[in-house]
Amino acid sequence: MPAMLSTQPHGLPHPHMQTEQGPQQRQFNPYTENGGTILAIAGKDFSVIAGDTRQSEGYSIQTRYAPKVFRLTDRAVLAVNGFAADGNMFVKKVRQRLEWYRHAHAKDMPLRAIARLIQTMLYARRFFPYYVYNILGGIEEDGSGAVYSFDPVGSYEREACRAAGAAQSLVQPFLDNQIYFKNQTPAPGTSHPTHLPLPTVLKLVIDSFTGATERHIEVGDGLEIYVVLAKGASTQALEGIRGIQETTVTNDGERVFIIQRELKKD
Amino acid sequence: MDHFPTNWGRPRNDAFDAYGTYPIAQHPRNAVDVFADGVQRTQQPIVTGTSVLAIKYKDGIMMAADNLASYGSLARFKDVQRLHPVGDYTVIGAGGDMSDFQYIQQMLEELVTEEFASQDGHTLGPVEIHEYMSHVMYARRSKINPLWNSLVIGGFKNGKSFLSYVDLLGTTYTASTIATGYGSMIAQPLLRKAVEGNETTLTEEEALKIIESSMRVLFYRDARSINKFQVATITEKGATISESRHLETSWSFAEGIRGYGSQTQ
Amino acid sequence: MSIMEYNGGSVIAMVGKECVAIASDLRLGNQALGISSNFQKIFPVTDRIYLGLPGLATDVTTLQELFRFRVNMYTIKEEREIQPETFAHLVSSTLYERRFGPYFIEPVIAGLSQTPSGGFKPFIAATDLIGCLNFAKDFVVAGTASSKLFGVAEGLWEPDLEPEDLFETISQTLMNAVDRDAYSGWGCVVHVITKDKIITRTLKGRMD
Repeated sequence: MPAMLSTQPHGLPHPHMQTEQGPQQRQFNPYTENGGTILAIAGKDFSVIAGDTRQSEGYSIQTRYAPKVFRLTDRAVLAVNGFAADGNMFVKKVRQRLEWYRHAHAKDMPLRAIARLIQTMLYARRFFPYYVYNILGGIEEDGSGAVYSFDPVGSYEREACRAAGAAQSLVQPFLDNQIYFKNQTPAPGTSHPTHLPLPTVLKLVIDSFTGATERHIEVGDGLEIYVVLAKGASTQALEGIRGIQETTVTNDGERVFIIQRELKKD
Repeated sequence: MDHFPTNWGRPRNDAFDAYGTYPIAQHPRNAVDVFADGVQRTQQPIVTGTSVLAIKYKDGIMMAADNLASYGSLARFKDVQRLHPVGDYTVIGAGGDMSDFQYIQQMLEELVTEEFASQDGHTLGPVEIHEYMSHVMYARRSKINPLWNSLVIGGFKNGKSFLSYVDLLGTTYTASTIATGYGSMIAQPLLRKAVEGNETTLTEEEALKIIESSMRVLFYRDARSINKFQVATITEKGATISESRHLETSWSFAEGIRGYGSQTQ
Repeated sequence: MSIMEYNGGSVIAMVGKECVAIASDLRLGNQALGISSNFQKIFPVTDRIYLGLPGLATDVTTLQELFRFRVNMYTIKEEREIQPETFAHLVSSTLYERRFGPYFIEPVIAGLSQTPSGGFKPFIAATDLIGCLNFAKDFVVAGTASSKLFGVAEGLWEPDLEPEDLFETISQTLMNAVDRDAYSGWGCVVHVITKDKIITRTLKGRMD
């Protein structure tokens, strides 16, 4: 029996020993990876959350347009990356919880509360995780731009910028350099800005994705950039941008915009 | 306290402990899952259907699937319909396990009947069927007991066409061309080349030509396919599923092939 | 455990205007444990060719000596200096000789090649561990931080950089990439090759 030979290199099996020769069972794998990359950057009074729109499995592109970034409220946008089915279901459940909150409290849930909610929801599935990396961007109650990033089981922290997904390793060091000014020394008597202006951030986001598209096969097709502006923040930087759309719902003051761009399709 | 180290849960296997002298098998195995043999959870597809193709065109959706249900490499059932109408606006096409698909058909039939009986002035369109199926498929995968299918859902309602995909993992997407299984590798590039950008201009005749030529390529290259297939169209006028069609194929070129196997000259 | 990550280390080369640059980190590790912060991976081959050898440290030494020997033999037999293109093929065939028991090195070559008119043309190339050549027009990367290097380089590099600008670009690319790589870092060395001089600078990096 050839199968036996391969597991029994040392001759005959011991008479009392159990040999593993039960029926071969192929275990169903409830997970897959659907590629793509997401990214978010916080500014002083704005937050930018972006993701490409390609969905793939292995070497096959399933669709060129499957959004990974979702508006939750007028001050919160969630980007989800990893196993698409888990991602979509997770967003659906977060939205359901936000709706319940709205019905109970007659207002939208604050960003930091959404962040904690997401951590609780992810950790609830600690032993059968949502295979998803989440990045939450938006405006805090104090009017500052914020980004929260999560791992699949709910560890999270507030940051100024974060990349996740297939091209995280390509994009994150670039952002370290351009957002945090890592390895750059300011000229004597000057200092690096703590917050970058919106036009600079948008340029960096687009450069990050064109770069990732160039060198990673799972990134491309389309780019969706959400911009969340704080109450009273200037819209000047967004005027005249190609393909911009406002998706604000309430009159609370915060405003949400989407910018759509093409990426290479190869 | 159990003083037998071998009962502490250390994995014992002669693959890496070939000279163990302790008579392991004679000791009681404490930590056994008594249900392990009783519950059949994981499965594999048994009687299977291959690719489903679907495209958007000017008037709606066109979908195709052949009539074969295979048992491994055996062409077991050669007159199986893999396109199924749901309500008045939707057709669902399936690859993968055919018994699971028949279960899905029953389930959808029940759903449609129930919706009809409620007489609430609403009818299920392709969007609703897609949402329903994605939840069913995702729920089953989450129980590690999947319905082993790739489903294509096409429909037309209220002047809008809809085309989507759901599979055994609960993965979903919409696109203007969809091909499952082998078709995702062989037919999808052909469909994309012909359809992408022309969704609003392609006529039914042109769409049929694209589908037919793609099915032909699949028949030539996919060993689990057959040259007998059905085409569904879902338009403003409703859903129609054609009678089985036969493909004209030519194998005379095979005579001229040289250089494989023993036939080297 | 992958043998390519046993000692860690990364190398990058970039093309500029009438110049090329090659740079590497200085770490030698034993998996996660750092051993040395002055382990050179880049070696001069001729006055205008430099060779980076990231990968298994024992093979770094072996290959450096092997290439020194083969380049010397070439110089003696041909009575002329080897050109970067030729050297790249020498590297490739040397590695392919060991196709089924390879050296665990992914070489990076940077140099200036002589044109018929007597000028100099920038040349960079890299190969995988069995010698598959990649001639790039912009930049090549190798080592444990390669994906990070690709990402940053794709964002920072632009054509026709002057030597000092190229130095800044390659340094920033390398430093920021290795800071996100656990197996690379602990300082860097950069060489910029121009037609009349070589600028070599050692950079301080994060030591964590």
